[in-house]
Amino acid sequence: MILLQTSALTMRFAGLVAVDAVDLAVDAGSIHALIGPNGAGKTTMFNLISGLLPPTSGAISLDGADITALPAYARAGRGMARSFQNIRIFASMTVLENVLTGLHASIAPGLAAILLRLPRFRRQEIDAVSRARAALDLVGLATRAGDRAAALAYGDQRRLEIARAIAGNPRLLLLDEPAAGMNPAESSALADLIRRIRDAGTTVLLVEHDMGFVMRLADRVTVLNFGRRIADGAPADIRRDPTVITAYLGAKVAARLNAA
Amino acid sequence: MPVWLDDFLWTYQNVVYALGVNGLLALSMYVVLSVGQLSLGQAAFMGLGAYSSALLTVKLHLPFAIVLPASTIAPLLFALAIGTPTLRLSGVYLAIATIGLGEVLRALYINIDFVGGALGISGIPERAGLVSIYGLLILALLGFWLVGRSAIGRAMEAMREDDVAAATMGVNVARYRLGALLTSAVLAGLAGALSAHISSFIGPNEYGFEPAVTILSYALLGGIGSPFAPVIGAWILTLLPEMLRGFADLRLVFNGVIIVLAVLYLPNGILPWAMRRRAA
Ligand SMILES: Nc1ncnc2c1ncn2[C@@H]1O[C@H](COP(=O)(O)OP(=O)(O)OP(=O)(O)O)[C@@H](O)[C@H]1O
Ligand SMILES: [Mg+2]
Repeated sequence: MILLQTSALTMRFAGLVAVDAVDLAVDAGSIHALIGPNGAGKTTMFNLISGLLPPTSGAISLDGADITALPAYARAGRGMARSFQNIRIFASMTVLENVLTGLHASIAPGLAAILLRLPRFRRQEIDAVSRARAALDLVGLATRAGDRAAALAYGDQRRLEIARAIAGNPRLLLLDEPAAGMNPAESSALADLIRRIRDAGTTVLLVEHDMGFVMRLADRVTVLNFGRRIADGAPADIRRDPTVITAYLGAKVAARLNAA
Repeated sequence: MPVWLDDFLWTYQNVVYALGVNGLLALSMYVVLSVGQLSLGQAAFMGLGAYSSALLTVKLHLPFAIVLPASTIAPLLFALAIGTPTLRLSGVYLAIATIGLGEVLRALYINIDFVGGALGISGIPERAGLVSIYGLLILALLGFWLVGRSAIGRAMEAMREDDVAAATMGVNVARYRLGALLTSAVLAGLAGALSAHISSFIGPNEYGFEPAVTILSYALLGGIGSPFAPVIGAWILTLLPEMLRGFADLRLVFNGVIIVLAVLYLPNGILPWAMRRRAA
């Protein structure tokens, strides 16, 4: 079953086609990687899928429903969550509050319940805190719950972003370079975490430059270059695809590989 | 009422009332700032509340219990008209759209005879008092406190820090911004109605750019860490000029200096402590 589908998705900036008629199909329950050289249009794809940019043309559907015109907040309400390539945590809030904010789409006590402190409000808050703590636990930040988010180290901030994104049990999780700046031990722990997230029922679409990471983790890989989809398939096939090798590693490396 | 309180009020009535009204105005600024927006139309909203309520009282002789809530209608409509097109855009647009509102309305008041023209409206009966002023202030503080410590308060703080990230968490940023602006218009309108009904006279020149800056300086001085902070800021800026009566002409300079100092040295105001938001 396909959870996320883009059809001829196109994003044109002034004088530049960042995403050029890209078809992408992400199977429910899979870990799907979107790779490509710098500037290939991966983050732009994420911005289109999560609703931060309106596409120039093309369509996006989630679970069969057309969501192309839905604003970002409504896509979150339909079970989409994401992290950002350049970390965007709420720096002055605590770690726990960051994750609670990630639960916004699933908390809707209503103004009356809030002002009157109705039982519904208390129940939802208690429930939200326990879900947020569970998410922090999963990423290994449980002991930092009360700290200001700005006080976390870079790698922990990345983990916090993931906790914030998964707290509401999204159907689709978009991770933009989650392993950036991590050492091998950290990135292998991250790979385990992503597998666990998938096993808990969340479909994962991720952008990553670390090829080893992608090849070990992904069920399927889509390759972009200059905004175009140049390949799509199982990791083993992608690794051998000459167009990918040429685009991704550069023509020089491809020649060297051929010579070897 | 005990005699000492009666005496005290008799002597300091104007100041006591002004503290309450300015506290409401500070909260009307706070709610907009707390979603990361800047409005310079607070004095204009106040003027709309003052004028509409004074007209209802003086021309239609309606009871204050109807006049007071009705005073929020005109500010609400103006806020809706300005907010709907601008709040989807980034933060500066609301400030730009509201910056001239007070001056435009001033020109209108002066040129419409029905609202008293340049002379304004006089003979407004004194209907507001301690109970209405401080009752509303306490209700507003309580409301902001309760909302602040909830998912809505978290969403507001998140939007203020990063509206894009907040939107991807499911926060309907445009709706919250509009809600904040409408709330702010209601509070400013009520403050206007209350002040009109304690001073017996209102004029077209009281709700222009200068008071808008004064209201902004309440929140800048106090900060927006909690709803109490801007109210304290308003109280300081209301009391200081009273104590420095001799320097009345320098009031605007004084406010200007406070804004500059607050922005440079106290970016979170004098009460920077955020509300603790812990679940029950
Ligand atoms: N808002 C924008 N306005 C104009 N051009 C943009 C905008 N966002 C991205 N671009 C351009 O679109 C192209 C694709 O950028 P994008 O960020 O999607 O690449 P990427 O594949 O994520 O690259 P990287 O691996 O470096 O993160 C780049 O040339 C970039 O400069
Ligand atoms: Mg990118």
